[in-house]
Amino acid sequence: MTQPGNSAQGKVLVAGSASGLALLLDEPLSFWGGFDPRNGKIIDVHHPQFGTRTTGSVMFIPESRGSAGTPGAIAESLRNGNGPAAFVLAKTDLKISVGVMVANRLYNLDVPVIEISLPLMNQVSNGDEIQIIPEGLVLAKISGLD
Amino acid sequence: MPGLHLDSRDQNLLDGKQGKAMQFAMQTIVAAANIESAKSLIEISFAHIDSCFYSGRAHLDFALFLLQHKAQLAVPTWTNTGLVALDDFSIRDPFASNEVDEARQLMEAYVQLGCKAVWTCAPYQLPGRPKLGDHIVGSESNAVSFYNSVIGARTNKYGDFFDVCAALVGKVPLTGLHCDEGRRSRVLFTLDDIPRQIRASDIFYHLLGHLVGRHCGSLVPVISGLPDSTDEDDLKAISAAGSSSGSVPLFHAVGITPEAATLDDACQNQAPEKTVSLGVADLQSAREELGTDSTQPLQGIALGTPHFSYTEFERLVGLLQGRCINKKLVFYLTTSRYVYTQAESQGWIGLLETAGVKIITDTCTYFSPAVNGLEGKVMTNAAKWAYYAPGMLPVQVVLGSLAECVESAVAGEVLLDSWATS
Repeated sequence: MTQPGNSAQGKVLVAGSASGLALLLDEPLSFWGGFDPRNGKIIDVHHPQFGTRTTGSVMFIPESRGSAGTPGAIAESLRNGNGPAAFVLAKTDLKISVGVMVANRLYNLDVPVIEISLPLMNQVSNGDEIQIIPEGLVLAKISGLD
Repeated sequence: MPGLHLDSRDQNLLDGKQGKAMQFAMQTIVAAANIESAKSLIEISFAHIDSCFYSGRAHLDFALFLLQHKAQLAVPTWTNTGLVALDDFSIRDPFASNEVDEARQLMEAYVQLGCKAVWTCAPYQLPGRPKLGDHIVGSESNAVSFYNSVIGARTNKYGDFFDVCAALVGKVPLTGLHCDEGRRSRVLFTLDDIPRQIRASDIFYHLLGHLVGRHCGSLVPVISGLPDSTDEDDLKAISAAGSSSGSVPLFHAVGITPEAATLDDACQNQAPEKTVSLGVADLQSAREELGTDSTQPLQGIALGTPHFSYTEFERLVGLLQGRCINKKLVFYLTTSRYVYTQAESQGWIGLLETAGVKIITDTCTYFSPAVNGLEGKVMTNAAKWAYYAPGMLPVQVVLGSLAECVESAVAGEVLLDSWATS
């Protein structure tokens, strides 16, 4: 599984483990207002991935758009089981991390948030099978990451 | 985290000696220091929290977790708007779920925790506000910008949950806008090509804020050329508009804001990396960008985003006294309960209600189920409302000055008379 050439060691923002299919955000998304925590869908009509369901995905986020309501929306989507399985960020984001930490604490979840470099993130394709271990290693089973 | 200095109280909290809620709050602050690569924590003196604004059950679960484990606030903590007006029991639930009940329970939980129940996105209009150089915690974007820019208090743009954790611990990581270096202006906006008369009109500040937000990216802007008459309502407009179209948690204005006595002060004696010269055509295109094409008749007016101030009430009363709003329209105004009481003591509430104004406290028109009938073409004096409302309500927006909003409300149709139309 940890063959050289398909893994990246990230910085652990929130420790956890997860696996799922990669979902790369094409543009920054505001999780408050642009994302429906009740069903995990992207609802910003201006976003190129409008209508995409994020549930169970490993979300790769090159850049986020902070809103005070971001942590609440993320925690709510994780509470009701409609949120992503993990978050991988190219730019540190306190709001996404705090939303995940609160959900992990309240609902006994193990959702990770990992930071990796943008060049590494750019090697991931939508639909790649991704696994994340608590130490922050991000493994891609099909293509990307080296 | 190695290298992060914790005092004995911090360590006790982290060890769970003050209970599970305080432990989680401290863990969150330590994790934030790690995430933001901060080497130390700094004490705060005040917090304005957004966590009281309901967007799902998780918000309420978190507040109940804090109460159950006897969390204690370390600093004075004020509340942002809620989803509902706490004393209005007539409102309906748009989702036919228990969200309105839970939103109310959430607001009550934060009062029980010891927060001061001001329920406003413009807490800086109330007495007892922070002072120049104070380290504080803010979450709501316009309040963060106003506190940083106009008062010179220091806060990053925090968010839900973290704001409460910081208020419980009384500390935040020393990063970003808490540090001198983070407050240095790097992009200069000049207004030399804009006539003085335009620079003194109320809508100018909304359009300016929108343009600054659009152009400054993640750099701290400094604006040169604001007139001496610039008041806190004008600066509120820049704060709100700049943090809607962009993410501007701090701006300086030469000769106006406290850290910008001179351009060199704002730039900390370095040269700006970029200069943007704004002209009348930019203002006109901003106004068009914030409006929505519509041939529909005017159906409503929305004022008070962010919450209406005492001086804005005074101006509105002057414009509307002895006149009546056209019966075809709904006219909403949102404010804080504190300013409402001030306006009431002047007799203004009765006067405005007689003219046809519906005044709402504690919440905001573009997301509250307290608002009925705000649809179709709606006019507002606020760039922030113009920016967000079309995504949240079935409305088309016309942005106008306060006077234009009043004249249009009385006439029952959009009347624009100012320079801002091209």
